[in-house]
Amino acid sequence: MVGLILKDLMTIQRQMKAQAFVLIFLLVMAIFMQQSAMLLAVIVFIVTIQAITALSYDEQSKWDKYANTLPISKADIVFSKYILSVMLMIFGLVMALPILFFINFFTNNDITSEFFLTFNLIITSALCLLAVLLPIYIKFGSIKGRIVLIAFCFIPGFLTGMFKEYIPDMTQTFLYLKQYVYLAPLGGLILLCLSSLVSTAIYKRKEF
Amino acid sequence: MNAIEIHDLHKGFEGFFLKDISFSVPQGTVMGFVGENGAGKSTTIKCMLNLIKKEYGEILLFGKDHVEHELSIKNDIGVVFDDLHVPETLNATQLDKIMRKVFQTWDSDYYFERLAQFKVPKRKKIKELSRGMRMKLSIALALAHHPKLLILDEPTSGLDPIIRDEILDLFLAFMQDETHSILFSSHITSDLEKIADYITLIHNGEILLSESKDALLYEYGIFKGNSEEVNDLPEHAILRTRPGAFGIEALVLKNEVNEAFRLERPSIEDIMLFFVKGSV
Repeated sequence: MVGLILKDLMTIQRQMKAQAFVLIFLLVMAIFMQQSAMLLAVIVFIVTIQAITALSYDEQSKWDKYANTLPISKADIVFSKYILSVMLMIFGLVMALPILFFINFFTNNDITSEFFLTFNLIITSALCLLAVLLPIYIKFGSIKGRIVLIAFCFIPGFLTGMFKEYIPDMTQTFLYLKQYVYLAPLGGLILLCLSSLVSTAIYKRKEF
Repeated sequence: MNAIEIHDLHKGFEGFFLKDISFSVPQGTVMGFVGENGAGKSTTIKCMLNLIKKEYGEILLFGKDHVEHELSIKNDIGVVFDDLHVPETLNATQLDKIMRKVFQTWDSDYYFERLAQFKVPKRKKIKELSRGMRMKLSIALALAHHPKLLILDEPTSGLDPIIRDEILDLFLAFMQDETHSILFSSHITSDLEKIADYITLIHNGEILLSESKDALLYEYGIFKGNSEEVNDLPEHAILRTRPGAFGIEALVLKNEVNEAFRLERPSIEDIMLFFVKGSV
């Protein structure tokens, strides 16, 4: 498992370096626009999504064919991608938060409860995104996976548009749910755990 | 003990079947697994490694079921495919760091010695390496945890004769330990002639023969003549016939044929061609 995570970190190392430039650009933008939450969202998403980059590299080199000749269980191969994503997310947060506080300090924006709300939502969305993306990419590969993902995003929107009049107004529900937002990252984490079980089941049925 | 034992292995795809494959590789020997492209060599190897699931049949590696004891078996095998399947942004030194975490028995000194012997650059990215270099790196990776069994799927295809010779020497050095075994799949029969103790021939998903190489090369002979001369051969001695440049060629059992008939010594390639393209 450690070997697999190490392999992924080494593989995406270059990619991360390239994206550091994008982050510097965003940092400058965030300072000018005084939008620290935007910066946090972008950093967390860019870093987290690197697990998908690692999956694409694996697919390109047919790594799984080789990995399955090594004394590593299929469950570990899948689980390593989830651990990697969460590690990268924590790394993203550790990197983003000091910058954020720094920006807020100079722009005299106080850290408000609204910020914590946004923070929780960003973490939760990143966890949910991974929970959906990883099984799709493991099942369909990166090219087909992209198409499935687009379908996955558009179909609910399309259905909501079609049956708008039958759907009750959700504003009140959302306001009610807002008080539980602090629990949301935990929910995201549970979803990610369930997703890892689904991905393992998918991977065990794959042939290489 | 047999390093590999396969009984009645069956696997079906659309338009292709492995039909009741059975053969074994005794410990301390090299088995040449030969057949044309698409004959079922790689599919058999993938079944052995549980990369694809068999439909039925039994596969034992070191006497243990290949699925039930998958991880312990994989600790003792080294696998080389026809290409190196690791992300191309990595280099040989990074692979050493990774493999140290994968195998408890990983021997970094041995690994770097092999890289130096093969002149494989340590820090050059895999995508910048030539095909020969990638194969040498792949072989160093397969050997550095000191496996007992090497499973080689076309390791020398597409390589020049000099590199092929170097690689074969390395496999012969591996075989100095009498507990070591190799399954060597290839359609380059000259490689197998150099290194194999046994030959298994697969064609259209079926095993046509599995015998000791010496038995094949010394007990079989090729008779070349016209159809009347071939008719004079004892019927039970003829294994296969095929049209030749000057009439008919027959693969015969040497000991069953009178010395008056001039026989040529067959190569593995000849035998393969007789079994695949000849008629009974």
